[in-house]
Amino acid sequence: MTRPHRRGKQASATVDALRAAFPGAVVRDLVQSGDQHVVYIDPEHNTEVLDWLRTDPGERFNLLVDVTAVDYGDGRPLEVVYQLWSIPHRKALRVKCELPLSRLAIASVTALWSAADWLEREVYDLFGIEFRGHPDLRRILMPENYAEGHPLRKDFPLRGRFSRAEQTRRALSQDMEQYYMPEEMEGRGAPQIVPAEESPTSTPGSTGR
Amino acid sequence: MTRRTVEIPLARGAEMGMDARPAMGPLAPVDVAEPDIGSEQMLINIGPQHPATHGVLRLICELDGETVVSVTPHIGYLHSSFEKLGEYRTYNQIVPLTDRMDYLAPLIYNCAYAMAVEKLMGIEVTERCKVVRIICLELDRIFSHLLWLGTTAIDVGAFTPFLYAFQERERIYQLHEELTGARITTSATRIGGMMSDLPPGWAEGVRGFIDTFPRTLNEIDSLLTTNAIHQGRTIDIGAIGPEDAVDCGLTGPNLRASGVDYDVRKDRPYYDYETYDFEVPVGENGDCYDRYLVRMEEMRQSVAILHQALDRLPDGPINVEDPRISLPSKTDCMSDMESMIHHFKLIMDGINAPAEDCYFAVEGSKGELGMYLVGDGGPKPVRWRIRPPSFVNLSAIAKLAEGHLVADLIMINASLDIVLGEIDR
Amino acid sequence: MGLSEKPAERLPVASAPGGVFGAGTPTLLTTRLDFVVNWARRNSLWPMPFGTACCAIEMMAAAASNFDLARFGMERMSFSPRQADVLICAGRVPYKLAPVLRRIWDQMPQPKWAVSMGACASSGGVFDVYSMVQGIDTIIPVDVYVPGCPPRPEGLIYGLMMIQEKIRQERLSEHGTLRAEDPAEVARARADADEVLALSGPFGNSTRQNRVSGPTGSDASDRPDDRIP
Ligand code: SF4
Repeated sequence: MTRPHRRGKQASATVDALRAAFPGAVVRDLVQSGDQHVVYIDPEHNTEVLDWLRTDPGERFNLLVDVTAVDYGDGRPLEVVYQLWSIPHRKALRVKCELPLSRLAIASVTALWSAADWLEREVYDLFGIEFRGHPDLRRILMPENYAEGHPLRKDFPLRGRFSRAEQTRRALSQDMEQYYMPEEMEGRGAPQIVPAEESPTSTPGSTGR
Repeated sequence: MTRRTVEIPLARGAEMGMDARPAMGPLAPVDVAEPDIGSEQMLINIGPQHPATHGVLRLICELDGETVVSVTPHIGYLHSSFEKLGEYRTYNQIVPLTDRMDYLAPLIYNCAYAMAVEKLMGIEVTERCKVVRIICLELDRIFSHLLWLGTTAIDVGAFTPFLYAFQERERIYQLHEELTGARITTSATRIGGMMSDLPPGWAEGVRGFIDTFPRTLNEIDSLLTTNAIHQGRTIDIGAIGPEDAVDCGLTGPNLRASGVDYDVRKDRPYYDYETYDFEVPVGENGDCYDRYLVRMEEMRQSVAILHQALDRLPDGPINVEDPRISLPSKTDCMSDMESMIHHFKLIMDGINAPAEDCYFAVEGSKGELGMYLVGDGGPKPVRWRIRPPSFVNLSAIAKLAEGHLVADLIMINASLDIVLGEIDR
Repeated sequence: MGLSEKPAERLPVASAPGGVFGAGTPTLLTTRLDFVVNWARRNSLWPMPFGTACCAIEMMAAAASNFDLARFGMERMSFSPRQADVLICAGRVPYKLAPVLRRIWDQMPQPKWAVSMGACASSGGVFDVYSMVQGIDTIIPVDVYVPGCPPRPEGLIYGLMMIQEKIRQERLSEHGTLRAEDPAEVARARADADEVLALSGPFGNSTRQNRVSGPTGSDASDRPDDRIP
C-alpha cells in the first residue's frame, strides 16, 4: 500500500540548534522521504558547522557514515553530501553543500573524522571535487594514468570517452610496478583536476563503436 | 660478517597451550655469523593477485625487518561502475546489480536496496514480506560470516574449519537455489515485495538448517576459540580502541569488537527488529580475537532470530497489491486486459520515484550498509550510492597494521572481513 | 614429374625434416608419444586461479569438497603462475587489472591454456561500462569460455574437461606452431584495435535495450545519450 509522505515540515531540534548557532551558514533545510532531515549549508563554512555538530554535547554526531556527491546534470551545482549519525543520541542528519561547476572545491573534513580520508578521495576521483587540505588527494578507484575525466559526472558517457581500443591500449600501458608512499606526496603540489570542458573528448568513436 | 649472540626463547608456555610464560635464554646462547645488511627499509608488494588478500587488493608495505612500518592499500582493481550503471537502469533493473556487489551475502544487498527504494517511494510492504526479508537477511549474515570464518582460519593455518564452513555454506546455497534459482546471484527482491513467494517446503528447509547448523558451529568453535595457535595469532593483534574505531568510521562487527554498542538493527530498527529477542555481542579489546568472537556470537544470534521469524511467518500476500508497483500474476495477465496493461506499463516504463532523496541503512554482515538514492520523478535514479561498509573498514588497515609483523597484517586484513566487489563497486 | 622436383615424396627417408612422411605428418613413434605426453599433461593440470569477483566464489565451491576438482588431477591450485598450466579467469576484469592479467599470463610457462569463466570475463557481461574490459580475449588468448553468471561448478568442471579434450588432440609435431610465443608479443594486447572495436561494438548490451530513454514527462534531468540512435 502506498503511503503518502508527510510533506509538512517536522521540527528538528538539531536543525533549530544549528540555525541558532550558525545563522549565516545554514542555507535551507528540508525533510525528505518522510522523516529524513537535510540541511544545506554554505560550503565556505562546512568544517566549522560539521565540527560543531560533531562536538556539541547536544548533538555529538560522532560517526561520519558517508561522504558522497550528486551531480544533477544540466549545469546545476554539484552537491557534496555528508551522512552523519550520532551514536550517543541515536539520530541522523544529512548535510549538503552545493558547489557551482565553476568552483568545485571544498575544505576537507579529514581533520574531524579519519573516515573521510578514502571517502573524499573517492569523490575526488569520480566527481573531480577538490578537497582542500586533504592529506593525500589522488585517484583511488580509477588507474593513476586515467585521462578520461571523472566518471560519475553526468556529462561523462557510460562507456567512457575513449574508444574501447584506446582504453585497452592505455590500460596495458599502465606501469604495474609503480607504487606509492604518502611521503612522496610532498613537493608534488596541488592535485591536478581536469575540468569537464578541458577533458579529452575529441577521440572518435567515443562510445566504443 | 659480524657475529652476534642469539638467545633462543624456549618454545614452551603460551604457544604450547600451557600457562607458563616462555622461558628466555641464556640457556643456549649461540653465536651466529650475520651478513652485514643495510638497515634501510624494505618495500614489499602484496597483490593484487594474491591468495591472502581475499580478492584483488594490493598492499604496499614498508618493512623494517619483519615489522610493518606502514601499509598503503591500493584498491580499484575491481571497479565495475555499479553506481554509474544504476543511473541508466530502472529501479527494478538495478536489483540484479546489487547481488553482484557483495557476492558473499547477496540477499542482504537485494533486501537493503529494495528497502531503500521503498522508503524513497513511500511503499509499505506486507507483513509476510517483512518476515521473509528478515529471514533472508539473517540467513545471509550466517552465509557471509561462514565464508569469513573458513578463509580466515586458513590464514592462521587451520584448514579444517574451511571444509566445515563450506559444507554448511553448500546447504545455504541449496536454500538460495530453491528460493531464487541461483546459487549466488539471487536477485530475490523486487520493489514492493519479492520475486515470488516462498516455494513450498522452503521454510522447513531453513528450519532444518538452523536446527543442525549450531552443532557444526560448536565444532568449529571448539577447534578455534581456545586453540593456542589461533589465540596467539589473534589476541592483541590489530587492536583499536572505541574512540578511534568510531573516528575511522568502522561499523558492524569491527566496531562492536571495540566495545561500541552500535547496531542498526537496534538503533534504527526496521522491519520490527525491536520485537525480536536477540543480543548484540560487544567485544572489549577491539583486536582480531574479539572480532572473531563477535562474529561467532552473531551467527548464534542470527539463528535465534531465524527461529523467531519462522515461528511468526504470517500468511497473506507477499507483494503489495498496487498494480503500479507489483506485477500482476501471469494468469491475470493472460485473461484480463487491465492486468495486461499494468504489466506492460510496469515493464516498459518502470516505477516512478518522487524527486527526493533517501538514505536507508541496514545492518549488513560487514557493517552499516547504506543505500542513498536520489530520485527525479522518473523511473531511474539520478544517483544511486552505496555506503560501502568494507570500503570504510578497510581504510583503517593502515592504522591497525602499523607495528605488527607481516604475518599479522594478513590476519588483520582477514579479520576486517572485506569483499572487494563492494569496496571497488 | 622429375626426381629433382619432389625428392621427399619419392624418397621417404628417416632423415627428412619433419619425420618419415613429411613435415607435420604423424609417425607411429610420435602418435604413441603424443598419447603418453598428452595423457600425462591432461591429468595433471594445475590451475592458476585468477579469481576476482562472484565467479571466484563458485570456483572455490568447485574446489571444495562437494565438487572436488581434485578428481580431475587439479587438486593443487597453483597460486604462482610459474607453476601453473591453466589460467582460470573467474570474474570481472576492469582495465585497471588488465595489465596484471596479461603479466600473469606471460609469466606462465608453455604449454598453457586459459579458461574464461563467466559472462564478465568472456564478454564484459552486464558491465558494458567505462571501466571494464569487454572480454579478456582482447588481452590474452582464451581456449574455453564457460558461460553463466556465475557458471555452476559443474559448468567450470565441464570447461576444464574440454581443455583436457583439447590436450588429448594435440600433436607434438605441431608444437612448433601451436605453442610458438613471440617475445615481441609479451605484454601486448592479444587483439588489435580493430578487433577490440569489433568485439565490443555491435551487439551492445542491455543498456541499449531499454525503452525508457527519452524524456519521461517529468522534470527528469537529461542524461547524455549513450545509445544507438
Ligand atoms: S559473470 Fe556474473 S557471477 Fe561472474 S563475475 Fe560476472 S557478474 Fe559475477
